[in-house]
Amino acid sequence: MRLRTILGNIILWIFLLAFAFITLIPVVITILGSFKTNAELTAGATFLPDSWHFSNYAEAWAQANFSRYTLNSLIVSLAAVVGTLLVSSMAAYVVDRMDFAGKKLYIGLQSFTMFVAVGAVVLRPQFDLMVKLHLHSSLWGVILILISAHASIFFILSSFMKGIPRELDEAALMDGSSPGRTFWRIILPLLGPGLGVGALFTFRGAWNEYLLPLVFTMTKPELQTLTVGLANLKYGISAASQTHYMMAGACLSILPILVAYLFANKSFMQMTAGSLKG
Amino acid sequence: MNKTKQALFSYSFIFPSALLTLVLGIYPIAWAFRYMFYDYKGFGTARFTGLANFRRILKDTQFWESVGNTFVYAGGKLLITIPLALLLAAILNRGLRGRQLLRGIFFMPTVISTAVMAVVFFTIFNSYNGILNQFLIRSGLSDSGVDWLGPKYAMLTVILVAAWGAVGNYMLLFLAGLQNIPEDVYEASSLDGAGRIQQFRYVTLPMLGPVMQMVIMLAIITALKGYESIMVLTEGGPVGKTEVMFLYLYKLFFPVGGGSAAVQVQEFGYGSAVAFVSAVIVGIISLIYFYASRRMNQTD
Repeated sequence: MRLRTILGNIILWIFLLAFAFITLIPVVITILGSFKTNAELTAGATFLPDSWHFSNYAEAWAQANFSRYTLNSLIVSLAAVVGTLLVSSMAAYVVDRMDFAGKKLYIGLQSFTMFVAVGAVVLRPQFDLMVKLHLHSSLWGVILILISAHASIFFILSSFMKGIPRELDEAALMDGSSPGRTFWRIILPLLGPGLGVGALFTFRGAWNEYLLPLVFTMTKPELQTLTVGLANLKYGISAASQTHYMMAGACLSILPILVAYLFANKSFMQMTAGSLKG
Repeated sequence: MNKTKQALFSYSFIFPSALLTLVLGIYPIAWAFRYMFYDYKGFGTARFTGLANFRRILKDTQFWESVGNTFVYAGGKLLITIPLALLLAAILNRGLRGRQLLRGIFFMPTVISTAVMAVVFFTIFNSYNGILNQFLIRSGLSDSGVDWLGPKYAMLTVILVAAWGAVGNYMLLFLAGLQNIPEDVYEASSLDGAGRIQQFRYVTLPMLGPVMQMVIMLAIITALKGYESIMVLTEGGPVGKTEVMFLYLYKLFFPVGGGSAAVQVQEFGYGSAVAFVSAVIVGIISLIYFYASRRMNQTD
């Protein structure tokens, strides 16, 4: 009996470690590969780099234009986070605290857009709209579309809003504070944790978005984000001989989100776990 | 504050959200709905053609092949992802040293962009000069390597890459479900002499039923609609072997940039009709699954 449990435990750990290995190895290959020379990388003979070429990053940064891509990714992601949080927290505030005709209709609209996602189809009319607004050759088109898909963040913030005691803002309103002022001064600061989760989700989505920036930068390579610029290196004439740049670029694109994830891991795990309950 | 004032304030606060949702969310859906009855190539005038687009779909062998590929892709992905995710969740739900760290590791792939990882996997699986093949040849495991992205194995490779990115996500959802099962049920069953495997079979699985039904439903829909990683990894090739429904659809709207020769012109009208049929196919599969899996929903 004892022997069986020990044996069972050994098998269990072999399985867990093997799977952890499979999960980590592509990322490890990427990180280590980003320090190798191109020749060493394509020969595939080594695991650790023969010598560490930190210059890959400098060259990818300058030659493969990753400084531009990183800046674009940052602009898109940060603007999407600020816009999404602003638009959806304002909506969540009035939906939870105020009375007005059409509230149910609004909630219905939000759930509809969340469940009817048709990907490539809506992308085309969205692009046409941006052409009409003269925003198709700027990143603002991408940002606006990303912000428009804020339904899930609206629902997350709504649930956090319910947790803020009504007495607080009712008292403020009694004291003569305008609802707008109450929102900025009392509600938003108390909404902190909800805004944090919303920011992480939006940042993850925007930072990783591929199709939207791809479509909007087809004629403007200088507007490409990291994900698009990286994928395009695969098609380029020189790409086959520049795998080390691709690895360095992949690291540039993975690391920020990985660091954010590690920092937020605990609350993030609880949040996602909690969102299924109820 | 009187009612009118409150309503006016509310509208001013909800306006940005409502406007964005209507213009960039609802209008595009209506747009697609309209054009599926038109012949429209993105320039010139749209010509109303009634049901012609749908008749064309019936004869479009490329589309139906992509539907077949979608089932293979989704089926393969689910067969790997769901059992593995469930197993990992069941193991990591119990008191095991280092489980927080392991959860973190297994969930990690889901925070990384599928497009970026597909690029990395391309350099790993690439048939010529790919890292994996070079390793196989150097270590003497294979003479000439395996043509991972060739006609024979491309679908398998694509499925493995997709599963890599998805297991952690479903593990987390299963974990959330498992945490709702009260601990005393396990205590009672272990008093009755049930071992770990028996507990899993007779306690965990039945009590997880409703959550499992929901999670698998979500996994089916995601797998049927997924195409981003395929687009970066193989572009649907070689010779259409990994062309899936929603990738085919994407190429009807944005033929530029795609290397596969499957579609060369923009076909908005036809694309909208294909989108509608694709959505209906996903809907039908979901419904079939929903009714077939109702048993899972009955906890007793």
